[in-house]
Amino acid sequence: MILLQNVSKAFSGQPVIQSVALSIEQGEIHGIIGASGAGKSTLLRLMNLLERPDTGRVEFDGMDLTNLPNRQLRQTRQNIGMIFQDFNLVGNKTVEQNIGVSLELARVKKCEQADRIQECLRFVGLESFARKYPSELSGGQKQRVAIARALANRPRVLLCDEPTSSLDPSTTSEILRVLQDINQTLGVTIVLVSHEMQVIQSICNRVTIMADGQIETTIATEPAGITEITSDAGWFLTQLTERRDPHA
Amino acid sequence: MPDIVLEYASEIRLAIGQTFVMVGISILAAVLVGLPLGTWLYLSRKGQLLSNRFVFSSLNLLVNTIRSFPFLLLVVFLIPFTRIIIGTAIGTAAATVPLAVIAIAHYSRLVEQSLLEVPKGVIEAAVSMGASTREVVVKFLFVEARSGLVLGLTTSIVSFISYSTIMGVVGGGGIGDFAVRYGYQQFQTELMLYMILIMVILVQLIQFAGTTVARLLDKR
Repeated sequence: MILLQNVSKAFSGQPVIQSVALSIEQGEIHGIIGASGAGKSTLLRLMNLLERPDTGRVEFDGMDLTNLPNRQLRQTRQNIGMIFQDFNLVGNKTVEQNIGVSLELARVKKCEQADRIQECLRFVGLESFARKYPSELSGGQKQRVAIARALANRPRVLLCDEPTSSLDPSTTSEILRVLQDINQTLGVTIVLVSHEMQVIQSICNRVTIMADGQIETTIATEPAGITEITSDAGWFLTQLTERRDPHA
Repeated sequence: MPDIVLEYASEIRLAIGQTFVMVGISILAAVLVGLPLGTWLYLSRKGQLLSNRFVFSSLNLLVNTIRSFPFLLLVVFLIPFTRIIIGTAIGTAAATVPLAVIAIAHYSRLVEQSLLEVPKGVIEAAVSMGASTREVVVKFLFVEARSGLVLGLTTSIVSFISYSTIMGVVGGGGIGDFAVRYGYQQFQTELMLYMILIMVILVQLIQFAGTTVARLLDKR
């Protein structure tokens, strides 16, 4: 589905990605893991040409994106959703406007937009939040809105750049469950960049390990399942209530 | 109303009208030309969507040069240019030319600064959704920066009022010119003070309106 061939990228002379080849297969959840500075985020951003490679080809569905005229590249990007560590929602737009703008960009008819927005919000479980602004939401809710926005144009691939890195453990498993759901019920291929082994282990079918701008190896794995992680605060609270209980 | 103000009521009304025309044209120039220019300045910066060192340096130099003129000298310097555009260098209409020039330079810089406050991630998200540069600007940048753009315009308008007061040198009239000619030069200090009072009230109102609108627009 996505094919990187001999791709290299340098930032002001400093090589970040060095002749990398990688194939993302349809329907998989592909994890990319590595230490910070290994180039995993850059690798992901090459897949929708947020970063243009210095050399090499980036193919989506057999099309070489690097040779695509601007207009077609923009249309192709609507088939490739993306979510980020910091959510990147527009703070001055409501939840529904944030999702709606992505439909506007794809020239979806006005009358169809409201239904599509509702459909996306239902999928991420935020139907009642349509009129709220991002500043009124928690981190996990913001990421759900970002996911809804990325799904609005029914993409075939979802690129996830450290989507859980600014979330607490229990919210992390919530988001991972949503991603798994997207993969299984909607058939969307997922590429997941993370530096947390647990995150990668829990839902990925294949994992690529990166170091120093190169791919060490790509291995097939059995998703370990999303482990329930209770937040530490929750644990402390139960301790407190037990101590306070007069009947104890 | 104090007697002295009543005595000059029609002149004062004319002066206020002239100030409104001069400031109004300045605002129009700032929004119609300064906003796009400031946006271009921002977009042509290193690492931005239309990154181009030559364009950025040229625009940057132009804006800086205009803003480094002492305004009185800019007015005089632009006289030949004003003649070409308006046909004369004297009067309220002619006065709007240098005012528009400084308004564009002034506001474009503030626009650039407001846009720089927008998190880069928001622009990245927009590009990843397939937005064109134009769509990024209109549907994302301006939306996210809108309260900063309003506050910037408010600051600019207050400066325009101040700039407009010296347009008497080319017969532009206005409250400032009236205060100098009737108040200061004819030793009617009281009259001058009333004119200053009008300006103070005007600026307070504008600042209050600008701050309020910016606050209402900011949902972040």
